[in-house]
Amino acid sequence: MKTKDSMWDLFQRRGLSRRSFLKTCITLTGILGLSPSMLADVVAAAEKNALPVVIWLHGHECTGCDESFIRSQSPMASDVLLNMISLEYSDTLSAASGEQFEKHLKETMEKYAGKYILATEGGVPLAEDGIYCMVGGRPYVTVLKEVAENAAAIIEYGSCASWGGIQAARPNPTNSVAVSDVVSGKPIINVPGCPPIPEVMTAVVMHYALFGEIPPLDSQGRPKQFYGNRIHDTCYRRAFFDSGMFVEKFDDAGAKAGWCLYKMGCRGPSSYNSCGNMRWWNGLSYPIQSGHGCIGCSSKGFWDNDPFYQRLPNIPVPKTITTADEVGMVAVGAAVAGVVAHGAISAVQKNKRQTEKHDDNVRGPQA
Amino acid sequence: MKRVVVDPVTRIEGHLRVEIKVDEASGKVQDALSSGTAWRGIELVVKDRDPRDAWAFVQRICGVCTTAHALSSLRAVEDALSIEIPKNANYIRNIMAATQNVHDHLVHFYHLHALDWVSPVEALKADPAATAALQNTVLEKYQLPVTGPQDFNFDAYPKDFPKATSTYFAAVRDKVKKIVESGQLGIFAGHYWDHPDYTVLPPEVHLMAVAHYLNMLDRQREIVVPHVVFGGKNPHPHYIVGGMPCSISMNDMNAPVNSERLALVDQSVSMALDLVNYFYLPDILAIGDIFVKNGFVDGGGLAKERVMGFGDFPDEPYSGIANGDFHKKLLLRCNGVVENFGKGIESASYFDLEAKDFSDPAVINEGVEHSWYSYPENKNLHPWDGVTNPQFTGPKEGDKTDWKYLDEEGKYSWIKTPKWRGKMTEVGPLARYIIIYTKVKRGIIQPTWAEKMIVDQIEAVSKVLNLPPEVWLPTTVGRTATRALEAQVFANMNKYFLDKLIANIKNGDTATANLDKWEPESWPKESKGVGLHEAPRGALSHWVVIKDGKIANYQAVVPTTWNACPRDDQAGHGAYEACMMDTKVKIADKPLEVLRGVRSFDPCIACSTHLYNASGKEVSVVNTDPYFKG
Repeated sequence: MKTKDSMWDLFQRRGLSRRSFLKTCITLTGILGLSPSMLADVVAAAEKNALPVVIWLHGHECTGCDESFIRSQSPMASDVLLNMISLEYSDTLSAASGEQFEKHLKETMEKYAGKYILATEGGVPLAEDGIYCMVGGRPYVTVLKEVAENAAAIIEYGSCASWGGIQAARPNPTNSVAVSDVVSGKPIINVPGCPPIPEVMTAVVMHYALFGEIPPLDSQGRPKQFYGNRIHDTCYRRAFFDSGMFVEKFDDAGAKAGWCLYKMGCRGPSSYNSCGNMRWWNGLSYPIQSGHGCIGCSSKGFWDNDPFYQRLPNIPVPKTITTADEVGMVAVGAAVAGVVAHGAISAVQKNKRQTEKHDDNVRGPQA
Repeated sequence: MKRVVVDPVTRIEGHLRVEIKVDEASGKVQDALSSGTAWRGIELVVKDRDPRDAWAFVQRICGVCTTAHALSSLRAVEDALSIEIPKNANYIRNIMAATQNVHDHLVHFYHLHALDWVSPVEALKADPAATAALQNTVLEKYQLPVTGPQDFNFDAYPKDFPKATSTYFAAVRDKVKKIVESGQLGIFAGHYWDHPDYTVLPPEVHLMAVAHYLNMLDRQREIVVPHVVFGGKNPHPHYIVGGMPCSISMNDMNAPVNSERLALVDQSVSMALDLVNYFYLPDILAIGDIFVKNGFVDGGGLAKERVMGFGDFPDEPYSGIANGDFHKKLLLRCNGVVENFGKGIESASYFDLEAKDFSDPAVINEGVEHSWYSYPENKNLHPWDGVTNPQFTGPKEGDKTDWKYLDEEGKYSWIKTPKWRGKMTEVGPLARYIIIYTKVKRGIIQPTWAEKMIVDQIEAVSKVLNLPPEVWLPTTVGRTATRALEAQVFANMNKYFLDKLIANIKNGDTATANLDKWEPESWPKESKGVGLHEAPRGALSHWVVIKDGKIANYQAVVPTTWNACPRDDQAGHGAYEACMMDTKVKIADKPLEVLRGVRSFDPCIACSTHLYNASGKEVSVVNTDPYFKG
């Protein structure tokens, strides 16, 4: 999936003359507000390789994913935006608005047809012909399908684009769905989280900029690198779980000593994400380290796995390992039970890995 | 007369459309229409859930003002259940809220609003050496002589300071040049860079601002470190009803809060102060000064007539909001309404706003004359009494899924029209500043340190601009400038509450949560609560009804509803529309001035509270406002 075509490459492929290419460069020089003497520079640049073009669309969302994206430390937001990609359309960061902005979107889609990356944020409301999210006077779902048609690949940023998100929680008043529910036939990269970790978001585009292809995905379309481990298995408090040392009540002695939050409803045992190993702010913290259980924000349908302070065995989750009481059989049995619990989890992990291997690529071809 | 549509309005949160009618000869905006074009329905989603989870759900109303709705929700639930949070939790929550305000304001200016004032294309004409000299002048000329209270200051020297060398500015200019020449303008593509307003500032100011745009893009993440330490992440940090989950212990490295963690917060708080004092505030004052001197004192609109605030930042824990204790403990007592500030402080009228007013239908109610809903007999209703009858009428021209023009004479927005005593009002940082200035100058309150700082700032800026507050404050420049001034107050507020937190821990108090009412068995069978907060965009309120351990009713009236609402045939235009109509447009097709005015409110448009099932049938009577944003 090579996207690094220059403007001159495109003109040549379409059988357009050098003359029309130069004419376009003159127009471009004018549009950019540059002096005519800079025409030669514009021509030179247009002949050079281009940065991967990204179009970022917003549906039913809270803009938390954009905010997370610009929090990235490595790579830094400015480096991503200026040197790794060319973000040609973004409701949040683009200078332009309205008609000119929509025109630019159209031009970008034509110019880079089949080459651009479509990044999406937010769910897609389908009720009443999609009128519950209108962009430029048209339903988001219409715009999304149009832009998706000639995209090289699609990124679903955040749990709304990935799974429908909060507006899709019961009773889902606007019939909001995931991007992959309305778009198919393309490689779709699913980057769930509410929001995803900043460096996970930028790493996906960085991978593309570095290797010219999308990162390896698991069976659910998630980049394996970041969603391959359960938070529970990478959690620095795991030893306390294995030893049966639990926080029984917020702010109790166990909470002050950083014991396991499983009994406080922690979703770490059923959540696949990099919070435990990467953490937030390059290792600074993550919800569990700050004393609150994981709410499983990268898991499908996590909003309906509430109440959040009820521990896992009492709610319907797919991968319940054992009960905390069994694990924690108080002092005497603690060590033995820990080993048993650990074994059970490892088995689950192993099965999971095998399953994944089996049904890789179900969401479409990898680049 | 020309009708111009701008949709989508970018560099905001959410989906906003504006339409204006411009008299091309005079540039006067004869009519303006603001329409929220999406709603999500989180209030219905939260219904029947555990009230202890509500903060996490409603926090997702907005990821830009990420803690605002969580905090209002916690306050509403705690008010309903009569929970008083521990001192440490109050200080920590205040640090998180003040941090949010500093971060939100700074990112709003540099990354959402700056490109309405400065242009990378103009920056190309700048001389790097002259820009370095300008940077020095700006730092000297635009420092305000105000300070906040500080007990501890470990910051040996300003770690973040603007680079004022010609080499630096030459490198930034060359990078911008490369981008422009590449033809891949990315986020800078397709804008009206040829608009005459981009020549108001000299090229060097453009280059300095573009350099700071990039610099702040990479530094802003450090401002929210307190959220990551106390709440585990950002956006959307974690809280608990009854306090904070981040237990404090000086005996354990595994403790969520210990000395090492407090040092991280201290460092971030000091850095945020640097960013505000040496970048944000001087930049705004330099740009604002030049614009004001070039006659840009328009865009005030409704701010000249009426502004409203709810008050915030409890110095110490309070026992309830509905019982009036909240309003007795505040550092920022901007609760109230000020009318006619535009005519001068002597002619302005002040009206108090107390806890009891929030449940009085005569004080706050909403209408749907121009919103896609219908009310029985088209009455105005208090949020508590709202009914939900959707009435999507489509556009005036075009069809349901392909709009040409919306119908200003009929319904045209998913946003309702809230009113204070039947009148339209503006909320936000500008409103807070006008109210506190009026209350202090008129002797209605003896100022706290934060309120005194606000008055000092207003007087210092009036001196710089050589204009009285009533002239420069209620304008587009003033709305943008007060956000920067407020960031300075909030950056100091962080330091103030961190000092209090440390002093309290030193006194042996490490409690962060009050769990006496954690178990639903301890709750009354039915209870109601209200949560108030001065969010980055203005006065925010959440209401909750808890019945049999579940949420029976949840409502929110948010700042952007007050500001972005459609007109009311009796009360007139809302703040966005009034601002646009108080702004002159030079080129009708490129209404940069109008967009600058609208963005000066920091629009945040994301969620509706009017909820229907897929067939449009009423599924809930839980309603207030369509827009659920801070």
